[in-house]
Amino acid sequence: MRSENELIKLLNRDLNLLSFKKLRKQNISIRFENEELVSGLNYLKSQNYIHLATISCVDWIEDNQFELIYQLFSYEDKISLSVKTRINRKTSKFVTIKNLWGVAKYYERDIHDFFGIKFTGNDNMDELILENWNEIPPMRKDFKTRQYVDKKYDWRQYHGQE
Amino acid sequence: MNNKYESNKWQEVINWVQTRSLFMLHYCTGCGAIELPPTMTSRYDMSRFGIGPAATPRQADILLITGYLSTKTLRRVIYTYEQMQNPKFVMGFGSCTINGGMYWDSYNTIKQLDKYIPVDLYIAGCMPRPEAILEGFLKLKEKIETGSADGYKKYNKEYEKYKKNQEKVLGEVKRRQ
Repeated sequence: MRSENELIKLLNRDLNLLSFKKLRKQNISIRFENEELVSGLNYLKSQNYIHLATISCVDWIEDNQFELIYQLFSYEDKISLSVKTRINRKTSKFVTIKNLWGVAKYYERDIHDFFGIKFTGNDNMDELILENWNEIPPMRKDFKTRQYVDKKYDWRQYHGQE
Repeated sequence: MNNKYESNKWQEVINWVQTRSLFMLHYCTGCGAIELPPTMTSRYDMSRFGIGPAATPRQADILLITGYLSTKTLRRVIYTYEQMQNPKFVMGFGSCTINGGMYWDSYNTIKQLDKYIPVDLYIAGCMPRPEAILEGFLKLKEKIETGSADGYKKYNKEYEKYKKNQEKVLGEVKRRQ
């Protein structure tokens, strides 16, 4: 069982990290360049970080970037690791990691639903959660929720309402 | 039943009998589902009012929509509703079915259930307590007995209107009957 500091030392020795941060006890966040990410995840998997809890995404619209966050967990170190990388928002393309974790193909489909990011190598990009969606993906920051709701649904009218 | 008077009397008897045995299908994707176990079981015991849970749409009289419906689940509710046999009654449960509730500005949830299927009775609240649900059931029984719970007739009569509203939010709705 490694402590947080031991793990950071190990990662700095073996991997090419952009940055790392100890967020709190048992919780570390590390950042990779795009090209380094898959090999980095591969290495982490060999270091007992075998559990991919989820893949999450953040839309940094001012920086024109999407941030992908891979949440890993090790049952031996008992440490949660957030592995982050930022991709171009315009092209919004990244590589799949379904060969490392089979479950990733569903997380990637989910992200494709809500952020419109394509994962090359993952062929099945059908809608997973949404149905018949033909607007821009709803979790993007430039999706105007209120405008869409006004257009699609009618508000209930009450007596005495102006 | 050519005689109008006779037919009305007969209908009254049918209505009265109907209120004595109601089977409820509860559509539980909203959080309202959590109020139903105490309503059904020994704490509040709705079977003392002659209402019990049903297993499938074809065996049910009441469709209880507990909470919000996304466009994806609305499609399934329409399938369910159209599978049920007449006479059938719909109860909207919680403020989400009335005006969207806390999902009032969500891009993916409907705001008024009665635009898509006819609703005979709404139970307001977020969440309604089991007492409120039982009160709603008693009110529905009253409406059935007086013959004013006629949503299913309205659905047949104004089918085009409902269909138009449904297709506005869902696109094509495949009817499976």
